Amino acid sequence: MEILLQHGDLVLFLTLLCLGYGAGSWAEKSHYASINKREKELAHLPVVTGRESYILGEVEQSELVTGSVVVSIDYFKRLLAILRNIFGGNVKSYESLVDRARREAILRMKEQAQAKGADLVINLRLETSAIGQSANQKRQVGSVEAIAYGTAVCLAKR
Amino acid sequence: MKFTPKEIPDNVNVSKTHPLIEFFWLVGGLVLVVGIVFFTLGLLTDLAVSRTSPKIETWLGKYLAIDMQGEANPALQRRLDALLATLPEDSPLHEYEFTVSLINSDTVNAMAIPGGRIAVFRGLIEKVESENELAMVLYHELGHFAHRDHLRGLGRGLGLTVGTALLFGSDSGAADLVAKTLLSFQADYSQDQESAADSFALDRLAEHYGHAGGATDFFNRLVGPASSQAEHIAYILASHPHPQDRIDAINSLIQEHGYSVETAIPLTADILPPKEKR
Repeated sequence: MEILLQHGDLVLFLTLLCLGYGAGSWAEKSHYASINKREKELAHLPVVTGRESYILGEVEQSELVTGSVVVSIDYFKRLLAILRNIFGGNVKSYESLVDRARREAILRMKEQAQAKGADLVINLRLETSAIGQSANQKRQVGSVEAIAYGTAVCLAKR
Repeated sequence: MKFTPKEIPDNVNVSKTHPLIEFFWLVGGLVLVVGIVFFTLGLLTDLAVSRTSPKIETWLGKYLAIDMQGEANPALQRRLDALLATLPEDSPLHEYEFTVSLINSDTVNAMAIPGGRIAVFRGLIEKVESENELAMVLYHELGHFAHRDHLRGLGRGLGLTVGTALLFGSDSGAADLVAKTLLSFQADYSQDQESAADSFALDRLAEHYGHAGGATDFFNRLVGPASSQAEHIAYILASHPHPQDRIDAINSLIQEHGYSVETAIPLTADILPPKEKR
């Protein structure tokens, strides 16, 4: 017990590391499950990055749709990234984070488009930024924000 | 053009490597790099220390101006001078001009500071009960000077700080991580130094008084009646060995050298001012 108290910072570090790995992996797994499920459900709604040339038919209504999400990194991912900073190479621990954020943002945008009764979304744009008080600061856990926006188009029913 | 919804089976944007595998590779690489740096640093420091004369060291001590806020204590200085006079003619310690100061703090400790300065805390003097014990403590610090441990410690500490700062940046998480990893190596090294200084002190004590009485008394008092196994484990990462281990080591040295153990001379109370005045 005494040794634990004497090396409190080391114990705290290891606890945070295990917590970060455990909770982070669980959150990521369940998030991916949700993303895959919803992507299948919304697969019938086309989303394109191109503009009006894709529209077949007469446009009845067009509207801006957006979807944004903020995902935080965990302690374990941060440590992996710090270690990567020493040796260089792909920061693999952040790849899944950005991937999740982008897909979730697109999904939310599609959900909004579906609620508006859109037939397709054109001109999709994606943006990513570091967010929070800790953005671009050392020794802080940061978050990634992804925002997807596009034009939801409702076609005239014939 | 007809839209056909398709499922994308594979995600190319996320690497397939398991994060734990990546983690162990990176940590392994870091440990290797740090190990090499630490080892080289140790060798370089030892080399530099062996070529640093006491004169340069005294200058370094003054230049660094390590201020301990201690005050000179004539009673302690007298004892130290007496001990120094008993050192062999060819001892390299004669090149130093030793000064000893008393620091008004409850800490039970004494320190060797580069440049031939010894600092003793009031807490230690209050615990000491015989002249022999005090001589053992002062000889122990002289042992650090004889082995140049204070310089080694300073050099390694300085090298470590500069090294990690150069490698990983002065304020990064990695530097913290490395410092924590190296803590245990440093502790092991430092415990060896303490044991060597104890051994030096015992030999000098036995020569000075003709017997080794009082050598372990001080540590006996530190250990107290109850010494648990858990306490020992806590000392694995400490800079000093557990007092009981030091007693055992000193006792086995006493037997090995055949020193006799006689009654110690009680301490003359002239070091600290009388209690009511403080």
